[in-house]
Amino acid sequence: MTKRNRGGPLQGVRVVELTKVWAGPYTGKLLAFLGAEVIRVESEKSLDVTRVYGVSDINNAPGFKAVNPEKLSVQIDMKSAEGIQLLLDLVQKSDVLIENLRPGAVQRLGLDYTTVKAVKPDIVYTSMGMYGNEGPLSYQTGYAPCFAALGGVSALVGYENESPAGMNVRYADSTFGAAAALATVAALYHRNETGRGQFVDVSAVEAMSSMIGDALMSFTLNGEIATSTGNRHPDMAPHGVYPCLDNEWICVAVRDDKTWHTLAQQMTSAAGSVEVEMSRFTTLPQRKANEDALDHCLASWTQSQRADELVEKLQQLGIAATKSLNSIELISDVHLWAREFYREVHGPDGQSQSIVGPGWKMSRGATIENAAPSLGQHNDYIFGDVLGLSEAERRALDGRGVIR
Amino acid sequence: MAALSGVKILELAESVSGEYCGKLLADFGAEVIKIETPGVGSPTRRMGPFSRTAPSKRQPASVPGSTTSDARNEDVERSGLFAYLNTGKQSIELDLLQNKSILSRLLSQVDAVIDDHTLEWLSALGLDAVQQQCMHPGLVVCSISNFGLEPPQDRLHAEDLNVFHSSGWGFHTPTGGDPTLPPLNGAGRFLPSYEAGLEAALCISAALLAKRQTGEGQFIEISKQEVLASRVDYVLAQMMGGDMNVSQCRTALDLSGPAGIFPCEDGFVYIWLSAPAHWQGLRELLGDPAWMQAFPENWLEKACTPERVATCRRHLVQWLKTQGKEQAAERAQQLGVTLVAVNNAADLVDSPQYQFREFFVELEHPVLGNLKYPTVPYRMSETPAKPMSPAPLLGQCQAVEWQQPQTHPAQVEHND
Repeated sequence: MTKRNRGGPLQGVRVVELTKVWAGPYTGKLLAFLGAEVIRVESEKSLDVTRVYGVSDINNAPGFKAVNPEKLSVQIDMKSAEGIQLLLDLVQKSDVLIENLRPGAVQRLGLDYTTVKAVKPDIVYTSMGMYGNEGPLSYQTGYAPCFAALGGVSALVGYENESPAGMNVRYADSTFGAAAALATVAALYHRNETGRGQFVDVSAVEAMSSMIGDALMSFTLNGEIATSTGNRHPDMAPHGVYPCLDNEWICVAVRDDKTWHTLAQQMTSAAGSVEVEMSRFTTLPQRKANEDALDHCLASWTQSQRADELVEKLQQLGIAATKSLNSIELISDVHLWAREFYREVHGPDGQSQSIVGPGWKMSRGATIENAAPSLGQHNDYIFGDVLGLSEAERRALDGRGVIR
Repeated sequence: MAALSGVKILELAESVSGEYCGKLLADFGAEVIKIETPGVGSPTRRMGPFSRTAPSKRQPASVPGSTTSDARNEDVERSGLFAYLNTGKQSIELDLLQNKSILSRLLSQVDAVIDDHTLEWLSALGLDAVQQQCMHPGLVVCSISNFGLEPPQDRLHAEDLNVFHSSGWGFHTPTGGDPTLPPLNGAGRFLPSYEAGLEAALCISAALLAKRQTGEGQFIEISKQEVLASRVDYVLAQMMGGDMNVSQCRTALDLSGPAGIFPCEDGFVYIWLSAPAHWQGLRELLGDPAWMQAFPENWLEKACTPERVATCRRHLVQWLKTQGKEQAAERAQQLGVTLVAVNNAADLVDSPQYQFREFFVELEHPVLGNLKYPTVPYRMSETPAKPMSPAPLLGQCQAVEWQQPQTHPAQVEHND
């Protein structure tokens, strides 16, 4: 039925993606990595910003390639009535529709849930919006850092007693996309069991709030409003990121008193030792009460050492210590390459490309070997094999600009 | 009707990632049975926030199926963290390693297992990838770990802080980080665990869907490091392709410009500025003062110098001193300016949008009382996903078939 037999749990599931930028395409990518046939609908007239912005070749667009491996691309002009009809024909032969267009856009296009459901009653229709599809604020739009700010995440990141600094500007879209993928698959399970599709309405802001659920519980339970506390942790001390030689940083998290005493022994005995006033730091409550002094003590010890050597030494002693990886270290991480998290795939031109794999390994997972598609790379398959259009019909549609 | 009605899941997990995964699946209507160490319970029961108001000596009033003494339980039932992570589940006290025959009976009744221990532990229980394939081919087994089941020697010991900083997020948090200050942890205590739990729930749901069609289960391994690194795919893949610079710079992931968090009269706002339209809207919002007129129309895209960014930020700070976050945000939205409130927990509980979507739901817990719980970010028209019941008391299992594992009526239908 579907084009390629890649295996994986979602093999045989066909997904139509009406998405833009990162969050919606990320949902599609996760489903494609799980084995679904994901079709990205594109058009020369309204190319996604990641295909064109600062890009010389739309078929070699770095941002687009990053988030769209293992997808198919078909060209349909959604601004024409014929294009919409063609799209509805495609949806009629699909299982899932994902959209993250601006609020109201699918209604204006004539692709809202009611219309789609009329041609495909058991469709799983996943709609993604900053605040979700309905409600007093659903008209509002924003970018990823807005989701994090509105959802309560940004307020929790920052240095103690300072204004919040927020997560990195890139955070939010992919997490939002993952939440949408989960709800979509659960809805598909239900569809398979009962024959009933549904409308799945996902909120980016709520996706952020779900990443800090315990902090929200802290408020509903005890009325406490969490704020940013640097790298501190209520249940652990030391718990921080400390300077090492060569502008490197080491993360140390100590879960219990016994581990602390092991660490303290190292700090006071080995080369480069520092003085530790042990009586102030014996128990967790003491270490929390004197945390400024504790952190200062640790930093004065780490700053004369090499991060990788210190990590090795502390790990051998059973202490949670790792380097804070910069971007060079991250993309050359031996462990991630060995696990094939980073992997090579084939581009439309036959060239190999490196991509970022999924966060899982599955014993019956899908093959992931194809890079992102070029524009309209799968027009023949979609128009011919899936929709059964004749050559003459295609030529006519092309002549009217419907499939460019 | 719930999306995963009829699905049975055994939760061996004892940390935030696995328990959050089980919670997400329970919210979809799966029956999730949590195994807890007898008399002690899950370690998350001993992690805060703890209720300050719940009466400490209160007897958990007539709990069906509860097999434990109330006096022993008073402290293990006060954790808001456990209460949040375990809504909709049932609890059985069982020493797994001492009761392998009971485990084996439980395994024969479930569709999936969630675990977040080590490979040695999984192997001892007969649930590693090889044994799953040989002994339980129809079972979905999902393991969640920090760096995969076979971590390198220098990553054997890690907390969420370590994982966050092994994924690219940590070193580059916050945006525009001062290189002399330590890079920061993510939001809250457990963001990496929640991300991994979400990924695990996605994989398990997909694997259950396949199992219903083929009868075959599978082994799923979730690495928290890989989940977090895959969340930055847009940047990471471009770095690998040589299309974006890699460096030892703390700003390697950043976008330039004056965007950021600013204090205002009653809190903080976030302002995003990248396009000429944003600038136009902002001029209108601020009443087009002289300093704005002096900037080129297209400066954000074409002439975004550090001096202009600094000037812009300085004036925004001045202007915001007299602005309330909600009022400013509302006017900004009307003018096409991306200015939003930096919300805290109280703002979210009060949010008209959250109230409309019922993001918080109230549940009555026998010890913690009536509380609001944050739920999930999806509203589903046919199968609403939300917590169906509060977290179980230690050992509280109401399902009769789990108490008497020799009878398993549900099994016939599921393994066909």
